Amino acid sequence: MGAPEIWKFAPAYELPSWPFVAPPDLAAAERRRYPVVIAGGGLAGLTLACDLALRGVAVVVLDEDDTVGVRGASSRGICYAQKSLEIFDRLGVYEQIRAKGITWSVGRTFSGADEIYSFNLKDESFSEQPPFINLQQFYLEWFLVERIRELAPEAIRWKSKVVRVEHGNDGAQVEVETPAGTYTLETEWFVDATGANSRIRDELGLEAHPSRHTDRWCISDVRFKTPFAVERWTWIDAPFNEGRAVWQHLMADAVWRLDYQMDEGADPESISRPEVAGARLREQLGPDVEFEFVWIGPYQYRDHLLDTFRVGRTIFVGDAAHVVCPFGARGGNNGIQDAANLGWKLALVLAGQAGDALIDSYHHERHAAAAENLRITSRTARFLAPRSAAEHRLRRAVVALARRHEFARRIANTGRMAQANAYPPSPWAPAGATSLQNVAEQGTTVMRLLGAGTHFLGLWLGASREQIAALDDELGQRRPLAVHAIDANGALACHLGAGTGTFFLVRPDAYVAARIDSATPARVAAALARALGREVEA
Amino acid sequence: MRSDPNIADPDGFYEAWIAAHDGLSDAASADLDARLVLLLANQVGDMAVLLECIATARRAGG
Repeated sequence: MGAPEIWKFAPAYELPSWPFVAPPDLAAAERRRYPVVIAGGGLAGLTLACDLALRGVAVVVLDEDDTVGVRGASSRGICYAQKSLEIFDRLGVYEQIRAKGITWSVGRTFSGADEIYSFNLKDESFSEQPPFINLQQFYLEWFLVERIRELAPEAIRWKSKVVRVEHGNDGAQVEVETPAGTYTLETEWFVDATGANSRIRDELGLEAHPSRHTDRWCISDVRFKTPFAVERWTWIDAPFNEGRAVWQHLMADAVWRLDYQMDEGADPESISRPEVAGARLREQLGPDVEFEFVWIGPYQYRDHLLDTFRVGRTIFVGDAAHVVCPFGARGGNNGIQDAANLGWKLALVLAGQAGDALIDSYHHERHAAAAENLRITSRTARFLAPRSAAEHRLRRAVVALARRHEFARRIANTGRMAQANAYPPSPWAPAGATSLQNVAEQGTTVMRLLGAGTHFLGLWLGASREQIAALDDELGQRRPLAVHAIDANGALACHLGAGTGTFFLVRPDAYVAARIDSATPARVAAALARALGREVEA
Repeated sequence: MRSDPNIADPDGFYEAWIAAHDGLSDAASADLDARLVLLLANQVGDMAVLLECIATARRAGG
């Protein structure tokens, strides 16, 4: 026996901090009123703030802290899905994310020493953005903060804690505690983005149906250099983890996230001791790989889903509204996508171009998405943690057959990767709404066509210049719609799966609100009115 | 779900089924049946039929 190994720890991440600046409200004689105030500067809150700032809405973000990320911890979310990356492209932070992050599309699942299935998400991708980029969450938040500061230097108020909220019929009154004193501001719309433990939600007495899982995991974020594939690898039953599950994923700065399923009865403190975590790593990496710990974090997952994402003029986004098990990257990505669903709706309602009822569509669509994500992730959780001998037996059957039979591979479940959820039929989109990928076409892209303003896109396949001009004439200039002729044989038409003559009404969040097979000005106007939650004009 | 006779040689099927369990421990036997259920389920495919089969099997065992 050699000497016991000395475990190395990397220095902590150096996170940026921003100064508290006393807001004008503190000295003002009267309460100031804002169109949108967001409590919480995490992924969902910052994405919404950036989206609104880009749309010209005077948004205020109240954040308790003066930095990004979670103090004393490593990253929370690590995988950002295509839809989120497309949103970040529109917001102007994608290039930084791409440059810093790890692009991947292949996932492999192992049982013991054998690979039992793999996928390549690139196969289904038409987008300018890849299926996934891995990046520590605080980098993403950092990029968003810097972007918001460019667009609206005073928008984020650091060291500003929401201590009381009065919810009214025409908005909210929010009491804010700061290092320079306490003040109250008024807002037409109040957004709770304060995360899973939201006090704002709890004080309203809203039912969130929380449940806590008994499955126990321990993350080791570790820096080392090996020729590991830049892919998502998962083990259902790893020989180097006593037959339990393991996740292996790369983030920026050569940091690997190795996430080990533990015995349910394990003591969180003892499994996260450096010598215990280090011994686990040695089992996986072998004796020769040099590594240093970035973070060791034991956790149990939990979930909740709020019944309603809108209460009057108060709206819940991100973890405040929903939390799911971490499998398949359906947490942070859905906070980001909540924000992208809500931003344009708030902008159009505030501009008087849509009615208040459009905000109900936020609940309708994002609650349905969250419920779907909860169902999907709960199924993965159950596959990974069988609760009885019988469940173990059924899983063994799946794994045994998966080695030779394609059909059984489809049942093996180590996570179904996040996709842009389709929205169910609604008054706003009678056929439901599906996401349009950021396809490049004729020197531009869907995201560039959407641009910084707030308008719908009319994509008219194979239309002539005259047809477009005639439609524009009929509809008039005041509608939030920009119509484009699209090559009926191009990449976009291929992704849309339609040919000459078909018209697609695409919302500002790049969801297709309507497909019109033979477009007339009246039909386009009716679809647009419906998507805006207006009465359809006769 | 069909419950009219669909197996041409019922006795031959039963014979083959029990023969597959010959010499297996209870645990190995149960594993075999679980694999068999999966293989057969994939032959059926139709979700509504599968759910009805699951419900019927559960009732009969209760």
